[in-house]
Amino acid sequence: MRKYTVSLLIALLVPALACAAPNPKLAMPEFAGLAQKATESVTITLDTALLAMAGKFLDGNDPQDAATKEVIKGLRGIYVRSYTFDKDSAYQQADIDAVRSQLSAPGWTRLVETRSRKTRANVDIYIMIDKDQAVGLALIASEPRQFTIVNIIGAIDLDKLHKLEGQFGVPKLDIDLSKTPAQGPAK
Amino acid sequence: MNDAALDLLDEYLAKARSGERAALAVLVHAHQRSVYSLALRMLGTRDLAEDLTQDVFMQLNGKLKAIESNKHLGFWLRQVTANRAIDQLRRRSRVQMTSLDEEHQLFSAEDDSDPLLQRHLRGLLSDLSPPARAVLLLRYQEDLDPLDIARTLDMPINTVKSHLKRSLETMREKISGMQRTRCEDHST
Amino acid sequence: MSQDIESGMRAALRPVAPSDEFSQKLLAQVVADPPARSKSFRLVSQGARPLGWWLTASLAASLILAVGIQQHLQEQRLRQSGLEARREVLQALQVTSQKLNLAYEAVKSQSTSLAGEKPGV
Repeated sequence: MRKYTVSLLIALLVPALACAAPNPKLAMPEFAGLAQKATESVTITLDTALLAMAGKFLDGNDPQDAATKEVIKGLRGIYVRSYTFDKDSAYQQADIDAVRSQLSAPGWTRLVETRSRKTRANVDIYIMIDKDQAVGLALIASEPRQFTIVNIIGAIDLDKLHKLEGQFGVPKLDIDLSKTPAQGPAK
Repeated sequence: MNDAALDLLDEYLAKARSGERAALAVLVHAHQRSVYSLALRMLGTRDLAEDLTQDVFMQLNGKLKAIESNKHLGFWLRQVTANRAIDQLRRRSRVQMTSLDEEHQLFSAEDDSDPLLQRHLRGLLSDLSPPARAVLLLRYQEDLDPLDIARTLDMPINTVKSHLKRSLETMREKISGMQRTRCEDHST
Repeated sequence: MSQDIESGMRAALRPVAPSDEFSQKLLAQVVADPPARSKSFRLVSQGARPLGWWLTASLAASLILAVGIQQHLQEQRLRQSGLEARREVLQALQVTSQKLNLAYEAVKSQSTSLAGEKPGV
């Protein structure tokens, strides 16, 4: 009887496990208390419908708009939370850790980790790959008076994001996807 | 009006020019306040202002093909309204301003409006010659700069500037007089 | 003081709306009248046309106007939403690129300092 119970459980769980595709969408906290303290805050929530609408109003004849249109073509969501304060340490690391901890989940790989003593800026960039394609990007940037979280969902074409250089000042990161570490929990 | 709304009105103009009546209605709706207000403050009574407004928009019906953009439409409406009002006033021996009961319709009734300043403005408007009145209204109601006023009224720019300068001086004198009276009232 | 007077005059001279009744009749007449006819006559006295004609034309024009204005307002709202969405997309990508730049600068300066430490360089 126990054998059957175990087998039944495994039979029920395996498909569930197999179907649990990685989810690139991060759960963003409200940050309500921080928004009130901040001198500037940027909150952007663009889902599939809004991205499609924005796409209609991007002018194909304008170089910046045309490049932007290309980048957002396969995207399903762009989420930004950015807060600027007028003094150092106005926010707690715990505020960001709630988001960072989600990037330990299976599927996320840390692509870049930078710690600058000069600017006191820390930037972590994570990517989620599914079937050899980037399906999610997460960026956490923290500076003494500012932090920013960006979550982009969908078929991210890093090459096209790369080509935005000159339009938004996006730098060449020289990141070769073929050399991306094997999928596994981020360190 | 923001850029998006202005672009939309250009589209409606194009539709109106090709015969779409609904598009013409939208344009009339968008511009009627400005035309009516100019007519009312030039001519002083509601009846005359309504007549002039009606005439201007009926005239527009026949001129649509020549109007190139919504901006051009605004210019044309102001030009026709102001010049026809000036002509009407010149034919009348004395300007009949609105009776006291209708006074509130002449000016904006919004929270930041000053009723005492409005009274002086009413006096000023009735004292001014028709062209000078048109200059004042195009400047402070329509927010046109002196060059655009000169083009609208086909008037030398120095004349426009001179009218504006004298109008402001008159208003300043009226307001100073009012303030002196207030002080005297308080001191008695 | 001049600026106060001028701003007072601007406030007092903000455009005022005609009565709803006049507005309706004006729109009805403009819409009903075919183009190139610029003959004008007083709305109040109604001219030579029978009242029934006016009522029908007025009703038809009101309906056309109501639909036209509704469409216009809806298009304007959609357009504003679309432009706002566009603005947000551009802002989001700008923020992303600024932070990517931070990472780039850090990586670049690290590479430069590492290169400086290499012997013989």
